[in-house]
Amino acid sequence: MPGADAPLPVLETDVAIIGSGGAGLMCALHAAAADPRLSITIVSKGAVGRSGCTRMVQGGFNAVLGEGDSLESHFRDTLEGGHYLNDQELAWTLVNEAPRVIQELEEQFGCLFDRTATGELDLKPFGGQSFDRTVHRADQTGLEIMSRLRDQVFRIGARELEDWRALDLLFDQHGELSGLTVLDTRSGQAAVMLARVVVVATGGSATMYRIAAPAREKTGDGVAMCYRAGLELRDMEMLQFHPTGLVAGTSALTGTVLEEGLRGAGAQLRNRLGERYMERVDPERLERSTRDVVARASYTEIVEGRGTPAGGVLLDISHLGAAEVERRFGEMAARTRLIGADLAVGPVEVSPTAHFHMGGVVIDPDCLTSVHGLLVAGEDSGGTHGANRLGGNGVAESTVFGARAGETAAAIIGGRGLYMPEPELVAASVERAYAPLRREGGQPPFALTDRLKDTMWVHCGLVRTREGLLQAREQLAELAKESSRVAVAGPRDANPAWQQAIDLESQLTVARLIVESALVREESRGAHFRADFPERDDESWLRAIVVERGRDGEPELTTRPVELTRLATGGRMLEQA
Amino acid sequence: MTALAVEIERSDSEARRHFTVEVGEPTMVLDVLLALQRTDASLAFRYSCRVAMCGTCTIRVDGRPVLACRTPVLLGADGLLLEPLAGLPVVRDLIVDTTPFSTAWRSVEPWFTPRADAEPRVLAADDPSREAIESGLDCISCGACWTACDLAGAEHRFLGPAALNRAMTLAADARDGARDRRLRLVSQEGGVTRCHYIHGCSGACPKGIDPAASIRRLRRWSIGAGR
Ligand SMILES: Cc1cc2nc3c(=O)[nH]c(=O)nc-3n(C[C@H](O)[C@H](O)[C@H](O)COP(=O)(O)OP(=O)(O)OC[C@H]3O[C@@H](n4cnc5c(N)ncnc54)[C@H](O)[C@@H]3O)c2cc1C
Ligand code: FES
Repeated sequence: MPGADAPLPVLETDVAIIGSGGAGLMCALHAAAADPRLSITIVSKGAVGRSGCTRMVQGGFNAVLGEGDSLESHFRDTLEGGHYLNDQELAWTLVNEAPRVIQELEEQFGCLFDRTATGELDLKPFGGQSFDRTVHRADQTGLEIMSRLRDQVFRIGARELEDWRALDLLFDQHGELSGLTVLDTRSGQAAVMLARVVVVATGGSATMYRIAAPAREKTGDGVAMCYRAGLELRDMEMLQFHPTGLVAGTSALTGTVLEEGLRGAGAQLRNRLGERYMERVDPERLERSTRDVVARASYTEIVEGRGTPAGGVLLDISHLGAAEVERRFGEMAARTRLIGADLAVGPVEVSPTAHFHMGGVVIDPDCLTSVHGLLVAGEDSGGTHGANRLGGNGVAESTVFGARAGETAAAIIGGRGLYMPEPELVAASVERAYAPLRREGGQPPFALTDRLKDTMWVHCGLVRTREGLLQAREQLAELAKESSRVAVAGPRDANPAWQQAIDLESQLTVARLIVESALVREESRGAHFRADFPERDDESWLRAIVVERGRDGEPELTTRPVELTRLATGGRMLEQA
Repeated sequence: MTALAVEIERSDSEARRHFTVEVGEPTMVLDVLLALQRTDASLAFRYSCRVAMCGTCTIRVDGRPVLACRTPVLLGADGLLLEPLAGLPVVRDLIVDTTPFSTAWRSVEPWFTPRADAEPRVLAADDPSREAIESGLDCISCGACWTACDLAGAEHRFLGPAALNRAMTLAADARDGARDRRLRLVSQEGGVTRCHYIHGCSGACPKGIDPAASIRRLRRWSIGAGR
């Protein structure tokens, strides 16, 4: 492979931020604010500020700002929604800092959120919440937030490596974090980046499912690279399905999300027989129930034969009147018209869609991990949302913890030097990335990616059983074997097929950890539903499943009791020391 | 399913240009590209969100700059011609280097600057500046307007519609403290006076923004502000 064996270029920086979503850009801005002299490098697999899911946030951002609302209430909703699997200190940090971040976004960065005629923030209702607290800008909230953060990043003048992907974390011979390997996907050139502090913010992954919502880049790279580096991951079995993904045949529009606010505003779900099945499943909250409940209800309708021929159920908000739907959900309506339906005037076919990974790297409220100098923020981290994330808590998480990571980075950098990475680590990482280009005779990754998505959808999706999971385990092992024969003919510059081959490796790693964790959890909680253990079992399972890479390279799983530091199950607030 | 002939402008003159693809309903141009990638794995194109939010899938379809993810393929059409955006250097196949676009954007100092002199103020639903700001929000930096504008795309002597539209949304914002400075910036050579109101940009914007109207507003204000 031309150039691959020549000495690699070496870049240096104080803070290397991997990912340019809400967490990555907030991190950059807060690190720069804390210490303007820091050199900051943003490594972004897609366009800076225009890749990832923060930008795709339609619905909005939960923060306690309305009169009569309280932090305690938001906290309680978050834990109830998370079925008490949450790391309560992370959840509390989220709830406590979300209002300040909204204020910063508006007053410092100029975001324009919807307000009422009297000037108050227009707070909309979302699923699973006891109070209307979702800040938004129509149905384009993430676009407004990310565009304004992106503009601010121009101001601080960070080094931006756009269309560069991070490959692996690097360590020196004593195990000190020294930086990472990176790949410029436009030129195909790999490089070593030495960094005092590395922040992983690649936005997790939920892309290894047949029907899925997230952006292309989100293939679990950050989580997989942390796993390979020996960090602990938690709650990997907790993968959220959004109840209302579009059904659009073979188009890539399939799985894209019709936003949560629709159900908040009174949209109804019906099966093919016209039956409003949420009346059966959750008569009190109906469609405004939490995502896990609604998604599983729809899934059950579909697999039990009460869905539409195309495999969906019907979402209808037309009773609001076309003009009102247009005003409040214009982009959603426009999208449905592309596929020959129209949300403004009638029902639209939807299916649950893989959406968000609650699981991820174990962090503390300052985004610190067990590796000195390595921080993780946003969807790559685990624990904040427990077994199910509330709509509107995702962008809150990425911005709140992104900001904290930036501050932490500035605070700890004094104690960190630049360390020379072990050459074998560099070589192995680069070799792995280039391998598909160097192989001959194999196939491109597409068919394997499809099979991975089918396996996960069928055997490790909304309803799981031991048998199904064992099948998934077997199929993933076979896929892993076959993936080591994937070959892409080149060229190496700007080659999406090659990049997808690298993506597949991360996706397979994460998928395996999801399956292994799902096998261990013999109960049902939040997003994780075991048909063979359909009840939640607090007695035995108020525990997080933690996985790390064992000495033999195989996943090692343990469980750890959830610490009820602030709120007991059943909702009793505990005294704070 | 119907067969559709597709021609793609490739960087490598040896690479395959002509394809036939089976399309059903609904099919976006992005779906066509994803299908063709399986026939020819070396095909280079860019996308991320699939839902008109990231602005990275912009290409020319039958000569018009559009978002591939937002452009349905008409069944029964004669064929499709797919080309990279004009006015930007080609990286490979349908991928272009958007640096000139972002350099222009950056040069209007697109970041909000809170006013130092006043309490932060809020814009109520009926605040007059909201209408102007909102008319220009939701730009996804897709570059369609850049390509559609001869002065920006072809000649690179103009800041271009998107950057000026962004400047307008800031100048309209009573909360922003850098209005005078920004109005001076956009009044320089290559700024608002360069626009000849051919309206190529407004016709091309996939988000329904009217950058020509934004530029007109901005020009009015910049005259008012004096140089
Ligand atoms: C369609 C959709 C709608 C949503 N709606 C809502 C909502 O209404 N409210 C809400 O609260 N949450 C919502 N969410 C969830 C929310 O988007 C996420 O919780 C959050 O934005 C994740 O932020 P992040 O910064 O961690 O990652 P992201 O914003 O996803 O950013 C990830 C970044 O990492 C980069 N990256 C990935 N891999 C690499 C690599 N190897 N090297 C370098 N860079 C890499 C990507 O290019 C991207 O820049 C939604 C999600 C989706 C998919
Ligand atoms: S893929 Fe994002 S705008 Fe088309």
